[in-house]
Amino acid sequence: MRFLFINHIQNARQSLRSNRMRSNLTMLGVMIGVASITTILSLSGGASKIVSNQVDALGGNIAVVRPGSASDTAFQNLAQLPTPQLFAASTLTIKDVNAIKKVNYVSGVAPMMILSGAVKAETSTSVNTSIIATTPTLADVSGLKIQNGQFLDPDLSPYIAVIGPQLSVNVFGTEESIGKTLTIKGQAFTVIGVLKRQNTPINYNGVDFDESIIINQDAGQALNQGSLQIQQINVKTDSVNNLAGAIVDINKAILKNHLGEADFTILSGEQIAQPTNRLFAAIAGTTTAVAAISLLVGGIGIMNIMLVSVAERTREIGIRKALGASNRDIVAQFLIESVALSIGGGVGGYIIGYLIAFAISSFLPFFPIFTWEIGGIAIGVSLVIGTLFGLYPAIRAARKDPIDALRQYD
Amino acid sequence: MKAMANNKTEPVIVLSDLRKRFGIGDAEHYAIDGIDLTIRKGEFIAIMGPSGCGKTTLLNILGLLDSKIEGEYELETRPVASLSFRRQARIRSQQIGFIFQSFNLVTRLNVIENVALPLVYKGMTRLNREKQASAILHTFHLGEREYYMPYQLSGGQTQRVAIARALVNNPSIILADEPTGNLDSASSHIIMEELSDLHKRGNTIIMVTHNPRLTTYASRVITMLDGKIDTDTGSPKRKNDTTAKKPLGKVSKKRRKTKTKQEVA
Repeated sequence: MRFLFINHIQNARQSLRSNRMRSNLTMLGVMIGVASITTILSLSGGASKIVSNQVDALGGNIAVVRPGSASDTAFQNLAQLPTPQLFAASTLTIKDVNAIKKVNYVSGVAPMMILSGAVKAETSTSVNTSIIATTPTLADVSGLKIQNGQFLDPDLSPYIAVIGPQLSVNVFGTEESIGKTLTIKGQAFTVIGVLKRQNTPINYNGVDFDESIIINQDAGQALNQGSLQIQQINVKTDSVNNLAGAIVDINKAILKNHLGEADFTILSGEQIAQPTNRLFAAIAGTTTAVAAISLLVGGIGIMNIMLVSVAERTREIGIRKALGASNRDIVAQFLIESVALSIGGGVGGYIIGYLIAFAISSFLPFFPIFTWEIGGIAIGVSLVIGTLFGLYPAIRAARKDPIDALRQYD
Repeated sequence: MKAMANNKTEPVIVLSDLRKRFGIGDAEHYAIDGIDLTIRKGEFIAIMGPSGCGKTTLLNILGLLDSKIEGEYELETRPVASLSFRRQARIRSQQIGFIFQSFNLVTRLNVIENVALPLVYKGMTRLNREKQASAILHTFHLGEREYYMPYQLSGGQTQRVAIARALVNNPSIILADEPTGNLDSASSHIIMEELSDLHKRGNTIIMVTHNPRLTTYASRVITMLDGKIDTDTGSPKRKNDTTAKKPLGKVSKKRRKTKTKQEVA
């Protein structure tokens, strides 16, 4: 039986080779489907990975408190995620921040109030950007590095700002902007520091620090008609091991503040990346459905070609049966041929998919990921397609009456 | 025919009241119409008869290609009706060698691959298959044509390849449908010598032919007419009498009859 299997493979290879053009075109159908699936999965995987990598890079001891209860569906997130700063009224208050600070093992708490507004230098036109009002601990909690100057300092004037390098370039035309003044809503701020370039437009804070301006919490409150809206509280614990315990305590503390109403969410580890993941999962899901249609078409192509092949080789089937091939042998022969076609398409599609993914990723801030799952899906899907669409032609071949088959073209 | 029961060798093939029907209703027609036949191990049988008398149909039934039959067919004491398709395929693969009327080579395979084809279903490795195929091709003086494609061969060579293929798995029963029909006398001689040699080694050979000369190689000559056995030289006495004078005499008379029939038609 083992030898027979090898024989079938040799046989399939030979028959596919003898119709090279036809085989290649048939494979192309599956190739396109598998390539699009591979591209989508590797890119969306890469996008999700980027956020969880950030969390890991910060030591993994980060938790994030967000207002609102955890949303369940990806589509809710789709609507919410791009503009987290647009929550009408945040349920998080400075009281919560202070309560979190008292929790054991918490080493840093940074509330973030994210406003959106125009930033203007004396000589330039205004630039719309994210304005983050926070406390000096954000630098430590979110691992922000300073390229020039310093981060926020409570001892200095309240109207100071730290800006992202790209914003600096956009507003001042240079990354060297320390000491320069810019205005937000008519209030002048002095730049005391420029952040180091991060190149992480997708991150768990929902803002691109390269293009943001960071100001003091009080100044931010003043810009927002005196009302403090905390969209996110970043919490850091002293070690990864204490994170889970701290989260329980934080939960208790905030629940107490909120009179038992769970109108907030605490995220940690993988969960932080989840809203981003869900967004990409939704995109990937939709595009995968489209790719599935092309796979279906590819599968029908295989079936079509196999039916033609069976009809063409009716006489050969008769000869083989007369020479001792059982029905099972004939089924195996044609099935292996169709599976070989689709696996060939699958492997080709996997490679082409990654080529496309890398080509696309040169325009994106992240790289496609390599996981065994994507390879498994590519091969698995093509295996299923080959078997599913090859079975009918193979059974049809095996059912042929040997005498009739031998008489063909006589 | 039951009289042959006292023969030394055991029966390989036993047919009793075998019928094969084609068509239904008004178009019903028996291509084989009640054949009783016992073929013993080591017999070399020539089946003769006019076109359409059911020779090829009989051969297909004997070769287990056609299982929709009425009556009994016992192959080596096993009733064929009780064998599964898979088992029948195994028997075709291991015990039966087919030589077809029209060469029936697989056109997209080269000569050696064609010859090695039956060995595929015996589960042999490629190397062993091709070794064995090469060996048999040499005995048919086709050693230099191993890597030719079928369309590059002459008619005689093609038939020799087809015969080599039928013999490559050392079948104990060889079914030949006009094995020399397309060959010149020199090539026919090679083929018939080979068949005769196989016969001497104890194989059972059943050959359909139109050529009465070839019956001299046979140990028993059966003529068929309208799906029935017309004459049969197979008796214990005559079995070893390969001079075949009597059979030929009888057969030729029959043949004259059939020939005139054919000419009229």
